[in-house]
Amino acid sequence: MRAREVAQLKIDQGLPPFPDLASRDSIKDRVHGIMVGELQAMEGAGRTVCDFPEAPWEFTLDMARQVWDESRHVEIYLRLLEHLDGYAGEFPETTILWRCACAEDAAARVAGVNRGLEGLACDVFNQLVHIARKMGDPILERAVEFVLADEITHVRMGSKWLTRLTEGDPERRRRAIEFQETIDERFNLGGMRRLGDHEAVPVSIATDVRRMAGFTEEEIERLIKSTQRSQVY
Amino acid sequence: MPHPLEGRFSVDHSARLIRNYRYAVERALRALGGWIALTPEISAKLLMGRHVWDLAQHADAFGKRLPELRAPAQVSEPPNPAFAAFMDALEEPEGKEQTVERLVGVYRVLKPHLLATYRDHVARANPVYEPPTRRILERCIEDEARHIAAGETILRHLASTPALDERAAVWQGRLEGLLAAAGGVTGDGLPQASAAPPTATQPPELDDDAREWIRLERTVTVWPIPDDLRATLQSFGDALLARDAAAPRRWLAAGAAWDVGAESSLYAVKPAAHRVVAFARVGHHRLVKLSFEGADGAATLLTRWVPAADGWRVAALEVARVDAARPALPPP
Ligand SMILES: [Fe+2]
Ligand SMILES: [Fe+2]
Repeated sequence: MRAREVAQLKIDQGLPPFPDLASRDSIKDRVHGIMVGELQAMEGAGRTVCDFPEAPWEFTLDMARQVWDESRHVEIYLRLLEHLDGYAGEFPETTILWRCACAEDAAARVAGVNRGLEGLACDVFNQLVHIARKMGDPILERAVEFVLADEITHVRMGSKWLTRLTEGDPERRRRAIEFQETIDERFNLGGMRRLGDHEAVPVSIATDVRRMAGFTEEEIERLIKSTQRSQVY
Repeated sequence: MPHPLEGRFSVDHSARLIRNYRYAVERALRALGGWIALTPEISAKLLMGRHVWDLAQHADAFGKRLPELRAPAQVSEPPNPAFAAFMDALEEPEGKEQTVERLVGVYRVLKPHLLATYRDHVARANPVYEPPTRRILERCIEDEARHIAAGETILRHLASTPALDERAAVWQGRLEGLLAAAGGVTGDGLPQASAAPPTATQPPELDDDAREWIRLERTVTVWPIPDDLRATLQSFGDALLARDAAAPRRWLAAGAAWDVGAESSLYAVKPAAHRVVAFARVGHHRLVKLSFEGADGAATLLTRWVPAADGWRVAALEVARVDAARPALPPP
């Protein structure tokens, strides 16, 4: 099903279109979505290992490391689903993340996936750690905190390879960043992702984490502005 | 007694062997990475995902050793065109129903061969002046033994019928023939069978335990379907099997449209049985995937059910996929 259709079905039933983490069931719904996202991240990183044999070897090495991380993340979220009395397949999901991972150019892929989607993952995981801490679930809190640490590493890899792969080719860099920006705009979580404190906004943009992962102040500023515009997901 | 400084390999030859290993490992890790997206089974995806990184580290260690042997860094080289052809064949099975072949190629043919080759190399490498290579190989040996054990666990889980087992054996035989014809990863012939056990002797740690991946794949053994909906789904599926034009429409929710196209795609596979293959929820709605299997293939119907005063009603249905029956695999 399309993400939009699922959201509409929820609205029709008087439910929030995206899990607001206000209940355990809603947290389970979110964790389920993340598990499927991790699966698609593993598939995407795996394709990147396979699709670019001409890229520098260190690029393959980083992407292979990411495959390993994502495969552990899938396992972690499958176990968290068990912890929350859920199961894989309980909620409908889409392949939208995978489709975003299908850019032809390696630089666009790392910009869109590692910086765009995994940057979004940092925002979401940061919020989930906060909520787990608040509701006193140390299993959820600790596991997601470690996944978040890995994701920051992946975003940092994205920043590094966006720069290296496009060295001396400003046009390629421009196209890759443009691709990333389309992703940033598409994944605003229905306008829930905004600048602000965890208590004040539904999903807070993790600005510190992004700085740690190689985002410039200007990029963070642009992202914040984009969350104030329209969105499809 | 041999002199402690007696050696079997020259520096150049050692570098060549390492380029050969790196070639096999690099191709295997790229293949495993690419296959994850083509493989439907979670347990097999996790297996491949775990091992891509270990192999990348092997390739990296081999590649870094090369300049120490007066050769350019991070270079891969096949021993001969026949070994490249073996790797081409190993990478061939890309169909979603060919996970068994993919795993057989890597876990029953390539990796056992690499393991035996590495062990043979360590046994022959000089212990005084070749420890840098030996250390790398010892790490690879440990990983390969662990990978083979995990791969075997997943293969036994997936190749669970005599027909699949037979398919696995046929594919293994074909690849082993190609490998032998190439003279193995070095082109120098297959190593003698080693006395060491082919797989890991230590029980796996939790993070690398293939039995856990199988368990996680089966997180739900019984769909949590309410009894009344289960009965409705049974009757609805039976009515479709009976090709009774009016009967299935009885469950249509008010205002919902019947999909005639979906119905005819379903009939095209000559369905003889039906079963639930997915069960999800959106609020009070239940999304149910029903698979209809017949002589001419299988069709999956995605249905959405809503609770009404007089029982469950179908608010939407569409054909999610149709798989035509495949002819039996031709002999290799
Ligand atoms: Fe991840
Ligand atoms: Fe990631």
